Amino acid sequence: MDSRVLTITSGKGGVGKTTTTANLGTALAMQSKKVVVVDSDIGLRNLDAVLGLENRIVYDLVDVVEGQCRLRQALIKDKRLPDLYLLPAAQTRDKNAINSVQMEQLCQQLRHEFDFVLIDSPAGIEQGFRNAIVGADEIIIVTNPEMASVRDADRIIGLVEAAGKPEPRLILNRLRPEMIRRGDMMDVADVLEVLGIDLVGIVPEDELIIVGTNKGEPVVYEKRSKAGRAFINAAHRILGDEVPLDEVEEAPSLVERLRRLMGFGPALAEKRVRS
Amino acid sequence: MGVLGFMNGRKKLTPGELAKERLKVVLVHDRIKINPELLELIRGDLLAVVSRRLEIDEQNVEITLAREDRWDRLHADVPIKRQKVAFEWDPPAYTPAANALLGSKIRVEIESDNEA
Repeated sequence: MDSRVLTITSGKGGVGKTTTTANLGTALAMQSKKVVVVDSDIGLRNLDAVLGLENRIVYDLVDVVEGQCRLRQALIKDKRLPDLYLLPAAQTRDKNAINSVQMEQLCQQLRHEFDFVLIDSPAGIEQGFRNAIVGADEIIIVTNPEMASVRDADRIIGLVEAAGKPEPRLILNRLRPEMIRRGDMMDVADVLEVLGIDLVGIVPEDELIIVGTNKGEPVVYEKRSKAGRAFINAAHRILGDEVPLDEVEEAPSLVERLRRLMGFGPALAEKRVRS
Repeated sequence: MGVLGFMNGRKKLTPGELAKERLKVVLVHDRIKINPELLELIRGDLLAVVSRRLEIDEQNVEITLAREDRWDRLHADVPIKRQKVAFEWDPPAYTPAANALLGSKIRVEIESDNEA
């Protein structure tokens, strides 16, 4: 089977790794791929809650690695989709509970069962991060358009390179089109110019993300959500489909449409720094 | 606009542009450990080499590090002093460049009223 192991990582915490993992996993499973999402953030598990599976955990990743249970016993099936599974992290252990060799073996085991293995990495660049990337074929870096997360993303690019992995690809998360238009936030081109890696997704800031997390339901199920559509597009790009990168191109606002109708057309549009 | 422009503060940047320019500089320093003292030494070395051949305006030399297109770059902006050509045109084949090859400095000629 041609399985792919992808690690979702970022360096900085709070940029949306877990949300991205949950949504990409769900979107890939919607395309009838057999998917397992693995929470490798041992001691700080959250992927279970984002997917709404927190009440069904019996065994976890550390139990599997230590031989306390079989792999099948630890996998939790998502009831909404036939082909989506979660391998949860241990909550009461720490990041040094497993080592790189064990993690690599686990990835090999998962390859036999699934088309896609998505690993949600912990923040940071310590052992937990190393474990998360050791078995990966591809690395996806999540970053936000602000100094600290872009800086950390650059560190991760260097470490991924040093680990002998192929060049990572980028998901630019939490863009705020209104701020970009005013010149108050870096745009897609700015971040790409600084980091110099390929893009797989552009995800606008979206309140429905928090609503979804509150409900334990990834936002890709929500048809109204721009972020949800952006994650679906990113999943298609991971599958190799050509999807134009136009997630932050917004329909003109009501005011702008009125202006155009009244003939004050492009004046406002011209002010946009870059689109 | 490039990093040098940002350094000189030639134009007021939007917060978004400012973030990008600051990142370009900070990322190079994160990756290659060049501290300001080392950069100062490099500056001295560069000026010594270049000023063997060219009259330069040492006060206004700008040496900066920045990330561009995924490459870390050392930028040297070296203004050349403007003054009269001072060497003798002994052999007719001499040009400023040929003269420099023989070890003399190139001086860029400009029209000047001083000696009129």
